[in-house]
Amino acid sequence: MNARKLPILLTIIVLAAAGFATLVFLGKITWFSEQPPLEFLRNMDLQFKSIPQSGNTYFSDRKSLRDPVEGTVARGEQPYQLGMGDVDLAESVNVDPNLPKTEFVMARGQNRFNVFCAACHNYDAKSQSKLVKRGSWLGIPDLTREQTVALSNARIFHIMSAGQNLMPSYADKISVTDRWAIIRYLRTLQGVEGVASIAPAVTTQAQ
Amino acid sequence: MFSRRFDMGVKVGGAVIGAVATIVFLVGFFGVRNDVADVGYRPVQPVPFSHKLHAGELQIQCQYCHAGVEISAHSPVPTTQTCMNCHTAVKAESPRLQVVRDSYESGQPIEWARIHKVPDYVHFNHSRHIRAQIDCKSCHGPVEQMGVVSQFKPLTMGWCLDCHRSPEKFIIGARPISGVFTGKLHNVKDLLDSAYIFTPIPAQVGVSRPITAPQFGSYETDIPPLTVAGIPHPKKAGRGPENCSTCHY
Ligand code: HEC
Ligand code: HEC
Ligand code: HEC
Ligand code: HEC
Ligand code: HEC
Ligand code: HEC
Repeated sequence: MNARKLPILLTIIVLAAAGFATLVFLGKITWFSEQPPLEFLRNMDLQFKSIPQSGNTYFSDRKSLRDPVEGTVARGEQPYQLGMGDVDLAESVNVDPNLPKTEFVMARGQNRFNVFCAACHNYDAKSQSKLVKRGSWLGIPDLTREQTVALSNARIFHIMSAGQNLMPSYADKISVTDRWAIIRYLRTLQGVEGVASIAPAVTTQAQ
Repeated sequence: MFSRRFDMGVKVGGAVIGAVATIVFLVGFFGVRNDVADVGYRPVQPVPFSHKLHAGELQIQCQYCHAGVEISAHSPVPTTQTCMNCHTAVKAESPRLQVVRDSYESGQPIEWARIHKVPDYVHFNHSRHIRAQIDCKSCHGPVEQMGVVSQFKPLTMGWCLDCHRSPEKFIIGARPISGVFTGKLHNVKDLLDSAYIFTPIPAQVGVSRPITAPQFGSYETDIPPLTVAGIPHPKKAGRGPENCSTCHY
């Protein structure tokens, strides 16, 4: 590098730095920082209350969301009574509410299926999800195979609610009605209940 | 008049004071603004968790992990159980997941650092926005492309109100990846196409009418009747409230 080019280079660097700083201060680009943001006036930003992810200094285990007292159930919650092994009981305990076969129910079933099941079983239930293609987890069954089609609704409800071998339970995440909607939708994927049987979408429109 | 040295001193001193004053002014004036100070905040998390891998590549939908978002004010970061749904079988030995396994065994939650936070005197509610079919991307940016999540929007009062006044300009319609319920069926063949998963449907904005006391800025839109008990019905987004007491109470 010869001496005459140095000032030019320096000018460019300084200009670039100044430009970057201006853009950051104008909020046009972000300044990635691992430090908590500056707060000059804290006002009432942090109040003495428990919010998610805040931790809690009052209890020794620092949990702000307290575990429920043993044997109690939170309001509105419908825990699933059976364990993974109670397959025989499943048929009698789980009564299919027979949700209407409307597009709305199908759409709900599809939505919940895509959220909670598609990660492993894929959107078409044929188990070629990204996870399986990547080779991370083999042994996820194809839900459209005969063996699964033969399972009763109550049994599939049981698998969803209590889990089966390595498949985890989803009872705490999907509401009971949603679980039946998923089964409705799963049956159409399996071709058991044809998509043609879907009633027109009158009920889903706002009046 | 003055010696050359003194002259030089004044010039250099002036330049230094000027520079310092400018920096102090810039930091003081802009540095406290959320769009400078908060946007881009990305704390170090206890587990090197990547949304780019889980949401972007594996296409695990947002609500699989952030499950309560549709029905509750907060959308808590997932419990350890959620991670272990897969990580009992996938990468069960990985040293990067040691913290997760420890937490699973001891029952002690992982202390994820909080990124998005409005001040405690503001009450933000996710469920109302999600039910109005507003995609996460409108407020959190393209999280599925972020290896490390960083704050994307300033979360200032002006930002909230901008959207509340003209939602059609700011709302990004629901994308399948977010798991926002729209009441419409997708074609299964479309879903198998990766691009479709990340494409928003056009925002659903309804007609809004001012209610009772228009000067306080509250609006209502049509609420669809509940068709099936137990399934929350999505609605079209209307104008959001401008009434101070809806957010500050
Ligand atoms: C974390 C990955 C994962 C998710 C998410 C998942 N499953 Fe599974 N599923 C599995 C695995 C693994 C098996 C095989 C279990 C076994 O070995 O018996 C399975 C088995 C099943 C079976 C039994 C198939 C048979 O023929 O025995 C059904 C039915 C099923 N899953 C339905 C669902 C539904 C409905 C959902 C959504 C609520 C879901 N799964 C979500 C991993 C998953
Ligand atoms: C596999 C589980 C998983 C999935 C899928 C997932 N997340 Fe997350 N998310 C997490 C975890 C764990 C954290 C906390 C650690 C972090 O910030 O990286 C988090 C943090 C976040 C945060 C920051 C929370 C805060 O503290 O402010 C946002 C916003 C977020 N996720 C949005 C999304 C969106 C949008 C999607 C869908 C594109 C998504 N997440 C999908 C697990 C998940
Ligand atoms: C639906 C299944 C699934 C869920 C749920 C899930 N992961 Fe993963 N995770 C994976 C897969 C698949 C990989 C990639 C494995 C590979 O590279 O082949 C992975 C990789 C990782 C890695 C990198 C591991 C390594 O050694 O490279 C970390 C860290 C991780 N996950 C953390 C988490 C955390 C924390 C959660 C809970 C919020 C979570 N995961 C939930 C499926 C999942
Ligand atoms: C209308 C804007 C908006 C939308 C849409 C939105 N969020 Fe948020 N999100 C926020 C704000 C604001 C906060 C900060 C809340 C607080 O501090 O109480 C937040 C916080 C979070 C957090 C941190 C934990 C907490 O306090 O709730 C997570 C995780 C999160 N959002 C995930 C999501 C996911 C997943 C979606 C999509 C299903 C989503 N958000 C949609 C604005 C939004
Ligand atoms: C992307 C657009 C958007 C952003 C950003 C946004 N909102 Fe909203 N918000 C809406 C819409 C649309 C509604 C009306 C929903 C409906 O029609 O039900 C709404 C409704 C609300 C309501 C419900 C009022 C009631 O009567 O119950 C509250 C509270 C609220 N917003 C708070 C906030 C806060 C606080 C922020 C900023 C942190 C924010 N919103 C940011 C779009 C937005
Ligand atoms: C849509 C929700 C919303 C509504 C409606 C709203 N605010 Fe706010 N307000 C916010 C948010 C979010 C913040 C936090 C901004 C920040 O983090 O800098 C805030 C902050 C404030 C602050 C503190 C500013 C500071 O930096 O200390 C005041 C004062 C305030 N609001 C007054 C009002 C008044 C008066 C009204 C009625 C005209 C009102 N707000 C209506 C969301 C709202």
